[in-house]
Amino acid sequence: MAVENLAVQPSPGASFVSRHRSALLGALAVALFFAAWQAIFLIVPLNPLFFTTPSLIAAGYVDLIESGDLLHDLAVSAVPFGLGLLAAVIVGVPLGILMGWRVRVGYALDPLMTVFYASPLVALAPLLVIFFGVGVSGKTIIVFTLAVFPFIFNVAAGVRAVDRLLINVVRSLGGRERDIYLKILFPSVLPYIVAGARIAVGRALIAVLVGEFFAASEGIGYAISRFGDIFAIDRMFACILTVMVIAVVLTEGIRRAERAAFPWRASQ
Amino acid sequence: MAAYIQARNVKLTFRPPNRAAVSALDAFDMDVEDGEFLSIVGPSGCGKSTFLNVLLGLIKPDSGEVRIRGKKISGPGSERAMVFQEFGLLPWRTVQHNIELGLELKRTAAAKRRHVAERLISLVGLAGFENHYPHELSGGMKQRVGLARALATDPDVLLMDEPFAALDAQTRDLMQVELLRIWREARKTVLFVTHQIDEAIYLSDRVLVMSKRPGRTKKIFDIKLPRPREYEMRVTPEFNDLKLEIWNTLKDEIVI
Repeated sequence: MAVENLAVQPSPGASFVSRHRSALLGALAVALFFAAWQAIFLIVPLNPLFFTTPSLIAAGYVDLIESGDLLHDLAVSAVPFGLGLLAAVIVGVPLGILMGWRVRVGYALDPLMTVFYASPLVALAPLLVIFFGVGVSGKTIIVFTLAVFPFIFNVAAGVRAVDRLLINVVRSLGGRERDIYLKILFPSVLPYIVAGARIAVGRALIAVLVGEFFAASEGIGYAISRFGDIFAIDRMFACILTVMVIAVVLTEGIRRAERAAFPWRASQ
Repeated sequence: MAAYIQARNVKLTFRPPNRAAVSALDAFDMDVEDGEFLSIVGPSGCGKSTFLNVLLGLIKPDSGEVRIRGKKISGPGSERAMVFQEFGLLPWRTVQHNIELGLELKRTAAAKRRHVAERLISLVGLAGFENHYPHELSGGMKQRVGLARALATDPDVLLMDEPFAALDAQTRDLMQVELLRIWREARKTVLFVTHQIDEAIYLSDRVLVMSKRPGRTKKIFDIKLPRPREYEMRVTPEFNDLKLEIWNTLKDEIVI
């Protein structure tokens, strides 16, 4: 009676390099990318008005951090980002459950929701700013508009994928409707909510930036657009790279959390 | 005196939307004695799994009735439990918590649940795997969990719907031996649906052969092999004669 867990695990005696091969190769590619960027301007003359190098970006970073501007802008942007995502969960999860559980609701709403999900809703940002203003509420609405659909569709798919056999198991053991929701539906759908969050986070970041491009007086998106306007390309890139790092950390963090929290899905 | 389980004139027609109605059971009768191990064999789609689901209380028949100890079945009840072909384990629960599911649904106290689960884990030979998740187990081990879960609520009747069909041939043979051992200890009435004639003979007191759809009882065979059953009995002339006889009864019903 052996446990069938045949995932390839390097032996404990393996060297540091072979144990972390994929991470090391990935890091090496990133380092090479920046090195090549820096090197290309040793050959090609650089017009600092339009171009920048990693070393100048690094100097810009130091500036932004020392002045506290970067942290302030990030904190300002974090508010609509967080509120919008929260609203997306609160609305998207129940709506997705309804669409997945009630077949007729699913049929009725699927085409409409698909249109919204597939279209570039950021195009609505100027309109939303007119409706809801340039403050936190306007930006929150834009984030919500982009982030809600991944939750709706993932949760609906999760509900439809619930194993009917498990529902019968609970019924046969005397479980009631409430037990089916709590013991089967909820645990089945939870991984789909988290998977939806992984997609929603990326879209929410875009939403914050776009919202702040259009109308804002602070925030990381505003900073990027302002530094662009005044040709402070180094600091603009410092801000862009920060957003990129945040995006990677958030999505990769959620991916790792998924693997840790739902091991049975990783093995499917 | 009426039989322990009594099915009379059970009729059931499936009416799927946009498709022709399918008569699964028509005038189906059967009797099962207390403590008996009865197997049902029949062609695919003859309604044998459907009948188990009627017995379980998940499907209501259109007419006719099934009684257990004289009491009419109107829904699931704790005196019956099912072992499913595809195991039906909750993937997010450990072995221990899967086994506790039925007791949890009956609002049994946690300490009592743990105690019952521990006893069953050792009965089905899963000691040391309490905290494993189903995806970490082999097929045979998964079905041991399925069996332990069904036994946890201490039912009088164990319904087994092709429980070993998803297992490889050798695991299947070993699980049959295990099932007989567990049955001896737990003393339950067992209804066992299978496609395999030798599995049915080896395990059962009686083998019921069903007709093709809509399913009726075609013939019942008494299996007079002594108990405890030994693996060697499967190669005796007596066993093979029985196997041939059952096959001859069954083969006319099979539509390919």
